[in-house]
Amino acid sequence: MAYWEIKNVAVRGVTGTVPNHPVKSAELPYFTQEEADTFDATVGIKNRYIAPNDVCASDLCLDAGERLLAGLGWEKESVDVLLFASVTGDYKTPPTSAILQDRMGLPSSTFVLDVPMGCCGCMYCINVAGNMLSAGTAKRALILVGDTAMRMGNPNDKSRGPLFGDSGTALALEYDPTVADIIIDFNTMGSGYQALMTPHGGYRHPVTPESFVEEDFGNGIIRAPKDALINGMDVFSFAITKPPISVKKMLEKQGLDKDKDVDYFLVHQANKLIVDRLVKKLKLPVEKVPYNLQEFGNLGGASILMLMSSEIGDELTSRPLTLLCSSFGLGLTWGTMLLNTQPMTVLPINKI
Amino acid sequence: MTNLEKLNKIFCEVFSVEESALNNNFDKCNVEGWDSVRQLSLTSSVEDEFDIMLDAEDILEFTSYDNAKAVLAKYDIAL
Repeated sequence: MAYWEIKNVAVRGVTGTVPNHPVKSAELPYFTQEEADTFDATVGIKNRYIAPNDVCASDLCLDAGERLLAGLGWEKESVDVLLFASVTGDYKTPPTSAILQDRMGLPSSTFVLDVPMGCCGCMYCINVAGNMLSAGTAKRALILVGDTAMRMGNPNDKSRGPLFGDSGTALALEYDPTVADIIIDFNTMGSGYQALMTPHGGYRHPVTPESFVEEDFGNGIIRAPKDALINGMDVFSFAITKPPISVKKMLEKQGLDKDKDVDYFLVHQANKLIVDRLVKKLKLPVEKVPYNLQEFGNLGGASILMLMSSEIGDELTSRPLTLLCSSFGLGLTWGTMLLNTQPMTVLPINKI
Repeated sequence: MTNLEKLNKIFCEVFSVEESALNNNFDKCNVEGWDSVRQLSLTSSVEDEFDIMLDAEDILEFTSYDNAKAVLAKYDIAL
């Protein structure tokens, strides 16, 4: 059973970018004001930023990445690794990370990789890049995580549309033999893959005219096979059972007291019902569990990085912190990551 | 307020219905708008009201008014 212990890797900085187009729940086409009020109160997502159709996740990530490199004073020539975590890349092929290498003016020696791992995307990238940096042969990695998830679904799917927001985030990692290990517990349950999926558009079911035929599933759920779907109860059942076990295991294995030894628990901002439940189940101190879903919605793999940027940026900048992060999403995959940070660069969230 | 009255109040608030609508046919198949969000909202309110923590499988079972009563019985909530 793999338990990842990544040595010699420091987090140097983080930031996020959103499209400058905030949308309140009541502004969504399928909600009445009353429905929007109920949604806000129960699901907790009152606002989300939605990118126009000509803006991709890579564009938002590009802004975050460029700003972060400038803020850190990193020469572009010094970036050895560029990872792009997204399920909404520019094209089916080639990898968007290669396009971003060119757009950002990174050297041709840059190792690039796309990581289409959904809501665990950030954690996957830290694991992959962290292990690459650990030996010291590569020194610097830029991780870009973002999605335009709204466009993955059907605009008339009330069960999915209001949950997501669009964003691009950037995280900088650097080889540093003086810092504490990054510890990650990763898990996969592929048998649950149908809970979160896009049925048509891959090579199992290529796009055909049938892919565009919409079906009304009731309760405001209208979608076609080309659209991403969420099986709400399956996802909920998964999210409230598997991740807490992983968090608990991490606390026990690392000998951490949740009330004393952890500064913040950063939980993937799926929705308030799920996050509240994890907090309750694990009996986490509520003041140590920041939320930003009310402002940004579910940002997929960028969720943890946006929490760092929007909610605890001042503290990340000024003092060492112990963070326990929990991600879960498509695959189905889930993980818990222990991150002991040193003061880093945190840039304000940009709206473009 | 009795436990049954508390449960009925929660159903009425979550589904915006009168108490008289709560019967054997009040279930996921027959009630307009009974989606996963409503179901989770329902179970969250029940947990808060009765100070219990439902298991995941019990939350999934909360698909009708009758089932809700059966699940609460498992947690020794007398109705």
